[in-house]
Amino acid sequence: VTTVLPPPQRLRLRENQLFLVLTIVIGVLAGLAAVLFTVAIDQTSHRLFGLGPSRYRLFLVPPLVSIVTGVLLARLFPDVRGSGVPQTEAAYHLGGGVIPAHVPIGKFITGVLCIGSGHSMGREGPSVQIGAGLASVIGRWFQLSPDRVRDLVPVGAAGALAAAFNTPVAAVLFALEEIIGDMNAGLLGSTVVASVAAVIVERSILGNEPLFHVPTYRLVHPAELVAYAALGLVGGIVSLLFCKGLLATRAVFLRLPRGTRFIQPAIGGLIIGGLLLYSPAIMGVGYEYVDQALNGGLVLKTMTILCFLKLGATIISYASGNAGGIFAPSLYIGAMAGGAVGMVVHRVVPFPTGDVGAYALVGMGTLFAGIIRAPMTSVFMIFEITQDYQILVPLMVANMLSFAISRRYQPVPVYHALLLQDHVHLPSPSTQGAPATVTARQMMHTDVVLIPPDASIAHAWERSRENDAAAYLIGTTSHLSGFVTRERLAESMAAGTGSQPVNSLLNGAIVHVHPDHPLEVVLERFAQSPDILPVVSRSEARRVEGIITPDSIMNFIHQRTRSVRTGSSNDTSAAGQRR
Amino acid sequence: VAHTPTDEIAQRINLVHREALQLVVLIAIAVAAFFLTRAVAANNRNLSLRDGSEWYARGQQALRAGKVDDAIGSFRRATVRNRDERRYTLALAHALQIKGDTEGARAALVALRESSPEDAEINLQLARLAAQRQDVTEALRYYHNALYAPWPLEQTAARRQVRFELIQFLLTHQQTSRALSELLALSSDLPDNVDLRVEVAQLFARAGDDRHALDQYELALRVAPDNGASLAGAGLAAFQLSDYPLARTYLLRANGNDQNVRATAELVDLILANDPLANRIGATARARRLASNFSYVQQRLGQCVERRANTEPTDEERDLQRDAQDFEEELDSPAIREQDTVEAGVDLIARIERHLVQACLPDTLLDRALIRIGELHGATAR
Repeated sequence: VTTVLPPPQRLRLRENQLFLVLTIVIGVLAGLAAVLFTVAIDQTSHRLFGLGPSRYRLFLVPPLVSIVTGVLLARLFPDVRGSGVPQTEAAYHLGGGVIPAHVPIGKFITGVLCIGSGHSMGREGPSVQIGAGLASVIGRWFQLSPDRVRDLVPVGAAGALAAAFNTPVAAVLFALEEIIGDMNAGLLGSTVVASVAAVIVERSILGNEPLFHVPTYRLVHPAELVAYAALGLVGGIVSLLFCKGLLATRAVFLRLPRGTRFIQPAIGGLIIGGLLLYSPAIMGVGYEYVDQALNGGLVLKTMTILCFLKLGATIISYASGNAGGIFAPSLYIGAMAGGAVGMVVHRVVPFPTGDVGAYALVGMGTLFAGIIRAPMTSVFMIFEITQDYQILVPLMVANMLSFAISRRYQPVPVYHALLLQDHVHLPSPSTQGAPATVTARQMMHTDVVLIPPDASIAHAWERSRENDAAAYLIGTTSHLSGFVTRERLAESMAAGTGSQPVNSLLNGAIVHVHPDHPLEVVLERFAQSPDILPVVSRSEARRVEGIITPDSIMNFIHQRTRSVRTGSSNDTSAAGQRR
Repeated sequence: VAHTPTDEIAQRINLVHREALQLVVLIAIAVAAFFLTRAVAANNRNLSLRDGSEWYARGQQALRAGKVDDAIGSFRRATVRNRDERRYTLALAHALQIKGDTEGARAALVALRESSPEDAEINLQLARLAAQRQDVTEALRYYHNALYAPWPLEQTAARRQVRFELIQFLLTHQQTSRALSELLALSSDLPDNVDLRVEVAQLFARAGDDRHALDQYELALRVAPDNGASLAGAGLAAFQLSDYPLARTYLLRANGNDQNVRATAELVDLILANDPLANRIGATARARRLASNFSYVQQRLGQCVERRANTEPTDEERDLQRDAQDFEEELDSPAIREQDTVEAGVDLIARIERHLVQACLPDTLLDRALIRIGELHGATAR
C-alpha cells in the first residue's frame, strides 16, 4: 500500500497551536527587550551626562556619540535609522514579514546610543522594530509558513509597545491601526495575548507604576469643550508644522551625497548639542518634563519655548538619520502645547476651567492623533494613562479636529511619507483588500529598454527613430530617473542641443504603478501617462519591474479574449459530451 | 512523492522533536532574559534612587541658600526618580509654598495623597495650605484627616500639636463651638504638664469658656502651685467668672509685673472693698458702702451734666436723675438697712455707671468696679 503525502507543511497540523505558544513567548521576549531597551537608555544617559552635566558635556556628547552611531548606521545597520515603525510596516506589507536578525540587534545598540546621548527621540518606535524583528526571527527559526511569519510581526510590535508604554490596549490598537492598517484584522487575539504577556513581564520587573502620575481631571464647565476644540486646532497646526518640517529637513539630508551618510548623525548631534546648551529639558525622551506639565509644574513661557524647541530638536535628530522614534516627542510637544493653551484659556475665558494638566494631557493625545494619525490608539492611550472616562469627551473633540486638519493639509501620514522618501510605496487600504483578478503584473512587458541617463539627446533621438513610441524611460532597471517624450526630443534636436545629456530633459514626477495594482488603477494611471507606464517595485520604487504600453494592453486583451473563447468552447464541448 | 506510512510517522516524530527542542531553548532564553533584565532593572532602580537622594540633598542645600527656584527644580527631579519617597514631594510642596505657588504645592500634595490618603503629614500640609487660603471647610477636613490618621506612639506630642494648631485656626476664624469641642477632646488627654495645661486653659479662655479655663489652671497649679502664668490665668478666669475672692487669692500670688494682672487685682480689690452686698459684713457697713458709692455716682453724674451744659439732658438721663433724687431720700431713712433697698441701690448705681461710661465720661477703675458689683448681683438682668 502506498500513500501520496502532501508537502511538509501539511504535516504541521499543530501550526496553529505552535503559533499561539510562540505568540506568548514572543510577547514575553518583546516585553523584556522593551524593558531592557528603556533601562539601557537610562543607564547610558546617566553614564554620559551624570546628574548635573557641565556645558561642555551637554555640547560635546551628542556629536561625539553620533560619530560612532553614524558609522554603525552607515556600515553595519543601514536599515535601522529613524523610528522603526515605517520599516516594520514595510516588512509586514512588502517583505512578507521578514526582518533580518541584525535589525533588532542594530536597533537596540544604535537606539540606546542615540537616545542615551541626548538626541530628542523616542524609545517606543525602536521598541516596535525590535519586538517585530524578534518575532520575525523566531517565526523563521521555527520554519513557520510565510503567512504565519508575517502575522508574527504585529504581534511582536504590540508586545514591545505595550511594555514600553505600559498601555496594553493602546498597543493592540496601534498594531492593528498602524502596522496592519486594518482594525478588523484577524490578528486581534494574537496581539492581545502578546500585549498582555509583555505587560505582565514589564510590571513584574518595573512594578505597576504608571508612566505618568496624573491627578484626576474633569470637565469643569460644558463651555470648556470649546477650549478643547481650540486646543485641537492648535494641535493640528503644530502637527502639520512638525510633519512638514520633518519631511522637508529630511529631504535636505537625503539630497546630500551618499558618502556623507556616516557623518550626518553627527551634524544633527552638533545642532542638538547647541540646543542642549540653551535648554537641557529637550534631552532624550523627556517624560520627566511631560510629567511636570501634567502636574502643573511649568509656566506658560517655559511650555511654549519647550514646545518649539522639542519640535525643532526632534526634526533635526530624526532627519539627520539617527535611530529613534517620534512617538515620545509627539507626546512631549503635545503636553507643552496643551499646557500652554490651558494656561491661556485659564486667563482669558470667563467660565471656570479645568487644571492646566488636563489640557496638557489632552494636548498629548491631540499631537499623537495629528502626527502619528492613529486617533483610536491616541484616545485609548490617554484613557489607559488616566484610567478616567471624564477626559474622553474633550479628548475625542480635540483629537478629531487635530486629525482632520492634519489629514487635510498632509494627506500622506508621516510614517508613509517617510517611506516614500526612501522610495518604498506601501499598498493603499484598497489594494490591501480583496485580491484583484487582473493586476499590472499580468499586463506588463518585462523586457524593458531604458535610455542611459548620461546618453546624449542626439543618441536618444536616434533610438526614438527606431520605433515610434510616444515616450522613453530614462535610467537603468535598478534606478529609474524619469521619462522623456518624443516631441521633447524633436524640439531639442531642432534647437541644436543634441549634445547635451538626455537627463536635462527629464520631466519631474513619474506616473507609475506597482505590480499588485488592479486593472482600474492601471488604466487610470495610463490615461495620465505619455503612453508609457513603468511598473516599479513597492519596496524600491526606483527599480523597474516592467512596463505597460498600448501594445501590452492590446496583447493582454487579446490573450484574455482567446482564453475566454477557449474556455467557453471547452465548456461547450464538455456540455456536449455530457449530453 | 510516494512515501510509506512509516516514513510519514518518522517525519512527524522528527518534526515534533525539533519543535519541542526549539521551544525548550526559546523558553530557556526567555527565562534567562527575564532574570538578566530584572537584575539590570534593579541596578537601574538603585541608581535612580541614588540620583533622587542626591537631587533631594541639592534641593535642601538650595533652599537653605535661599535659591527657591533651584530647590524646586531639584526636588522635582528627586520626585521623578523616586516617586515612593514622600519626603521629596513634601519638600517640593514646601518649596513651592515658599515661592508662593500654593496651587502647585497643593497639586503636588494631592497627587501624593492619592497613593497614601491616610498619611498624617500629607494631610497636615494640605490643611495648612487650605488654612492659608482661608478655606475653613477644606482645612478642617484635612486637619481631621491628619488627626485621625494612624500616628506612631512616639509622635503623640506631634499629634497634640496638630490639634493645638487646628484650635488656633478655628478660633481665628470664629469657629468657637468647633474649637471648644476640640479643646475638650484635647484637655481630656493631656499629660500632667504645666505648660500644656496653661496653653489649653488660655485657649479655653480665648474661646470664652472661663469655667474650663479655670479648671485647667487649677490642674496646672496642682502640679506647680507657684507657677506665675497659672496663677495669673486662674485669677483672670476667676475674675471673668465674677468669683472675686478667688480671683484675689490667685492674683495676689501671681507675678505683679504683668500690667493686666496688676490692674485686675486692683479692680478686684475695689470690688471687694465697695460691694455693699458682700458676705460677712454688717448692715452698717453695707449702708456706708452704699452711701459712699452713691455719693460717687452722683458726683460723676454732676460732672457729666456739667460737661454737657449746652445740651439738653436725654430722657434716660432725666430718668436716672429722678431715680437718683428719689433714692437719695431713702439713704437717710431706716429703709437703708433693708436688703431690698441695698439691692435697689446697687442696681441704680450700676445703671448710672453704665450710662456714664457709655455716653458721657471716660471710665475709672471705680466706675468699672461699681458696674461689676451691679453685674455680680444681677443688675444686668433688670
